[in-house]
Amino acid sequence: MKIAVCIKRTPDSESRFKIATSGVSIDETGLKFDLDDFASYAVEVALQLNEKQGPGETVVIAVGPDSVQETLRKAMSMGVDRAVHLKTDVVPPDGLAVAKALAAELRGGGYDVVLFGKHAFDTSAGVVGTATAELLGVACVTAASKLDIAGGKGTARRELEGAAETIEFTLPAVVTIDEGIARPRYPSLKGIMAAKKKPLETKPAQLGAPRVKVKSMQLPPDRPPGRIIGEGVAAVPELIRLLQTEAKVL
Amino acid sequence: MTTANAVFLFVLAVGAGFFALNVQRLVAYLRLGQRENRLDHPLVRIKNLLSIGIAQTKIFRDPVAGAMHATIFWGFMVLTAGTVEILIQGVFSGFSFALMLPRPVYLLYSLSQDVFALLVVGAIAFAFFRRLVLHPKRLEGDHLEHLDAYLILGMIGGLMVTLLLANACFYILDPASIGPEKFVSRGLGSVIGRLDPSPSTLAPVFWWMHALLILTFLNYLPYSKHLHVATSLVNVYLSNTSGPGQKGVMKPMDLEADVESFGAADVEQLTWKNLLDGYSCTECGRCTAACPANITGKTLSPRKIVINTRQRLMEKGPVVTGDRMEFLRPALLHGEGGDAGATTVADVAAHRLLDTYITEEELWACTSCRACVQECPVSIDQLEIINELRRNLVLSESRFPEEVQPAFESLERNGSPWAFNPGDRALWAEGLDIATMAELAERGDRPDVLFWVGCMGSFDDRAKKITVAFARILKACGVNFAILGQEEHCHGDPARRMGNEYLYQMLAKDTIGTLDKYAVKTIVTSCPHCFHQIGNEFPQLGGNYDVIHHSTYIERLLQEQRVPLSTDEGKRLTIAYHDSCYLGRYNDVYDAPRETLRRALPVVTLVEPKRSRDRGLCCGAGGGRMFMEERQGKRINVERTEELLATGADAIAVACPFCMTMMSDGVKAVSSDVPVYDIAEVVAERLSTRA
Amino acid sequence: MPHILVFAETRGDALRKFALEAVTAARALADGLGGEVHALVAGPPGIAGKAAQLGQYGADVVVTVEDASLATFSREAIAATIAERARAGGYRAVVLGFSAQGRDLGPRLAAKLDAPIAADVTEASMSGDAIVVKHPAYANKVIVTLELSGPLAILSTRPSAITAAEKPRTPRIETMALASPGAAKVTVKEVVEGGKGKIDLGEAPVIISGGRGLKAPENFKLVEELAAAFGNAAVGATRAVTDEGWRPHSDQIGQTGRQVSPQLYVAVGISGAIQHLAGMRTSRTIVAINKDKDAPIFKVADYGIVGDVLEIVPALTTAVREAKSHH
Repeated sequence: MKIAVCIKRTPDSESRFKIATSGVSIDETGLKFDLDDFASYAVEVALQLNEKQGPGETVVIAVGPDSVQETLRKAMSMGVDRAVHLKTDVVPPDGLAVAKALAAELRGGGYDVVLFGKHAFDTSAGVVGTATAELLGVACVTAASKLDIAGGKGTARRELEGAAETIEFTLPAVVTIDEGIARPRYPSLKGIMAAKKKPLETKPAQLGAPRVKVKSMQLPPDRPPGRIIGEGVAAVPELIRLLQTEAKVL
Repeated sequence: MTTANAVFLFVLAVGAGFFALNVQRLVAYLRLGQRENRLDHPLVRIKNLLSIGIAQTKIFRDPVAGAMHATIFWGFMVLTAGTVEILIQGVFSGFSFALMLPRPVYLLYSLSQDVFALLVVGAIAFAFFRRLVLHPKRLEGDHLEHLDAYLILGMIGGLMVTLLLANACFYILDPASIGPEKFVSRGLGSVIGRLDPSPSTLAPVFWWMHALLILTFLNYLPYSKHLHVATSLVNVYLSNTSGPGQKGVMKPMDLEADVESFGAADVEQLTWKNLLDGYSCTECGRCTAACPANITGKTLSPRKIVINTRQRLMEKGPVVTGDRMEFLRPALLHGEGGDAGATTVADVAAHRLLDTYITEEELWACTSCRACVQECPVSIDQLEIINELRRNLVLSESRFPEEVQPAFESLERNGSPWAFNPGDRALWAEGLDIATMAELAERGDRPDVLFWVGCMGSFDDRAKKITVAFARILKACGVNFAILGQEEHCHGDPARRMGNEYLYQMLAKDTIGTLDKYAVKTIVTSCPHCFHQIGNEFPQLGGNYDVIHHSTYIERLLQEQRVPLSTDEGKRLTIAYHDSCYLGRYNDVYDAPRETLRRALPVVTLVEPKRSRDRGLCCGAGGGRMFMEERQGKRINVERTEELLATGADAIAVACPFCMTMMSDGVKAVSSDVPVYDIAEVVAERLSTRA
Repeated sequence: MPHILVFAETRGDALRKFALEAVTAARALADGLGGEVHALVAGPPGIAGKAAQLGQYGADVVVTVEDASLATFSREAIAATIAERARAGGYRAVVLGFSAQGRDLGPRLAAKLDAPIAADVTEASMSGDAIVVKHPAYANKVIVTLELSGPLAILSTRPSAITAAEKPRTPRIETMALASPGAAKVTVKEVVEGGKGKIDLGEAPVIISGGRGLKAPENFKLVEELAAAFGNAAVGATRAVTDEGWRPHSDQIGQTGRQVSPQLYVAVGISGAIQHLAGMRTSRTIVAINKDKDAPIFKVADYGIVGDVLEIVPALTTAVREAKSHH
């Protein structure tokens, strides 16, 4: 199958963030960036699909400045055949604009399957994949936690809150990948060396005029230091109260 | 020359010739391996040869078997002279060393032959007894291994007996031919003489039996585990396991090399020395008996690793060298599961050392404790083979236990094998008024020593207490030190031990860059893995620093009486100190931690667990195992904890944060409440309140 | 007149809690614009009965779409229907809940309507002509304020971030037929509820985790009961107990197990060793129950209770059930 994986370069999830002096972005000094976690699951799924189904082609695509090339190479070191870099200086927070740029690249490419991560660490919006599918007019399954594709059709499982759906879909399709479906392989040294020579094409990203912009960024108020609220069974009512009112998780 | 001489010459030629063919074949197989220079530092090598080889120091680590083997070995060496004499006599009947040596020397030589023949007979008898009656566990091999052993013991015994009998008979026939120094032969002759006053047939028969046994024995060697007879001294000389150079340093690797694969998957990717190790293994099992993984029921057996290497070489060698003499191919490829049953050349090509013989499970079970290397009497380096195969698994095939992947990824992203924020690294130092290298550099200042904290000491709650304790000691002694703080990240040792040389070199080179930026010369650390890596392995990548472990450092401070200790007696404690492998077997630091405890606690009793010092049982966390699941058998840390608790000690002392975790977990697992302390904590606790 | 269209998600025959929260958010926007809140609800016949509840929370108009095929979530048809309504009605924004289905629906609408979308929103308001929203990014470590321009915007609201508020009125009911967007490319074959469709640890908003402090494998029943009381909770375990075989290895949370980041993590009888913390430290709210007040887990927990877990957990289970029954 011809499979495309759209990936994103995001900062490491363990990072502590500071706001840049501009107030509209994070301060990138000292941050480590890498292939986004969910995108890496999508890459792994793509590689496994072609390993199972017989020979095919995998292509990885990313939107962003030149720094995303490192991430494209990382995906190729896992085994992806080639990469396309849709170049833009800043990735706008407008998911639909990014989807338009990707759709322009994917259209007419003859892809059987296009994979995305369910969402990316930075926005956790999960917009781009589904919007891209809609723009291409193909089937779309989001947050697949199980995936099987054979003979032009596919089956996927999606987790809902407290339930699970089994979905059938036709190809071509866009599928966004949830965690737990596959463990991204660790690139071997051989893979890392090979990736340096694989083809990477750069083109301008056709984003159009973004209609979402960052007005400001703030750090959330400091997490109040944890406290022991009481001892024994007597503390339970207080805990319930705090979970309901303060933490708002109940 | 008589007919007998001529026949003997022919037999000798055939025997020696056949042996030479085998030697040539075996050497040709060795050439399959990678090149390596082992001719450096001849003086150190000679010292090893004399102590480990000739003086049999490692053999004596098992006193009973040691005495037995040393007798046979020294006997062998002494009797070799006699063997030469006999073989020459076979061709030139009148020959004797008496013609060449001064009389007293000859007498001594002659006496030695007789005495050692008897001693060896005794030792062989004991050896049979040991195998047949005592059944030592480490000698439990398959039936072919036993057959091999009995054949050899039988042949050696036979050699001694036929020698003595031949001499005895010659004595009966012509008393002048056997000098009075040969009291054993003479004594035997007197006894036999009463049974057969003229053994004119028996004498030459015994002589020929002896001579033929020599040639048989010689030619049996290449087919037997007793090949070690020919290779062991050479192997000890060429080995690095007791120096020259620092012990336990992994082989450097050139990652830029344009090679198909990294590490070793098959015998050609090991060095000729690794292959020679295969030839030299006697299957004595001392390594496996000391292996913490094997002891607790894992499939790893260091002996098997070495035997498998030999088996694979014997399987592949003939095919690669185009050796057509199939009948020369050893049939006795026994031991540890047998060979892989290749019957065609295609089979041989499809096999390899990794997977066909040695499984992933075995390789990942290793804690790199070095007990196997420590025990081996012929200086085999089992660990080197394990490490090269691990490198292949990780670098060429990306195959490793799945729980290791987060550790690799975290090392790459966060500079620590655990997913902790690098920004939290120096949180332990808050409020302690400890300067960082960067702060000092800004003032144009430098400390005398850098305190390298390590990832455990920076992030693990229990280990942080050790860090704080040691920092308090340094402060109390007025040591001018600083830390790297957030500039510190893992030096890559866990990655290296797990075979990921690529990730290791990235982290190590970056660390060297940081250390050199501050022109660091002296480093003290509380983690033996950091100590070994930075002090002993960094030089490979150009980082040269003087690194001291905190146990040595504190002992020094105590010796110099710089540590303000409280004057009261302190608690009466019985402490069992657990030796860290990377301090002990790797770096010979056994006494400093013990001395530290003695000096810090005036009223302390140190008790040693059953396996102590260079026989100490590993805690189970080394070799990257800290980051892996233990799925088979008994937990190594529980095995060790039970041993330590069996001493009845009030407390367990350690000098390594990994050991701290493993022993603490072990104590909890057996529901004991015996505390575990780091030696730094013991000392810090004793700091006088004015400090 | 600028109205706000709300998609009120249902499951079975009930409105989801966050649907009412979405209505509340829409209400605030509509009030700012001087417009109405139109709530669209789609489901099998009978779903129109939810109109009153939607009116209770501020919907001026309830658009009901009833169709037998909507017994399962026909996302393509629903998306087409909402888009059709949105195109017809002169709306300023479409609001829906950022649920599993909402995450799927929102971007489809954005593409169909060529409208910018802000997902996982915790606040929404008008700022002049633009819609301004707040959204927690980078795993809740940075709050981003976004401005959406253009005549129409799609907003999906984070469940539980907005408190549903009653602004009662009697809504006008309009009916609408389900759009038929042609051959379905995606069909739901089956939906498995609750126990069998076990929530994956990575997906669960609440995780109750047990450690060695539970003393015996049988006591894990208490953890399971607490999880059941929450309804949307998964059960996790520490390495110590999975090693002992009390729980399957797939339940292990920690350095060598699963790394999770739920809204609520309740650590029962867990001491908080570095290996475990590495797996759950980024949880939004952490509750710890342990008999040892010095246990490291209390350093990362927002709320801690010191005491016997075997007594406290059952009491907590009862209290949670009590609290949930008021939903």
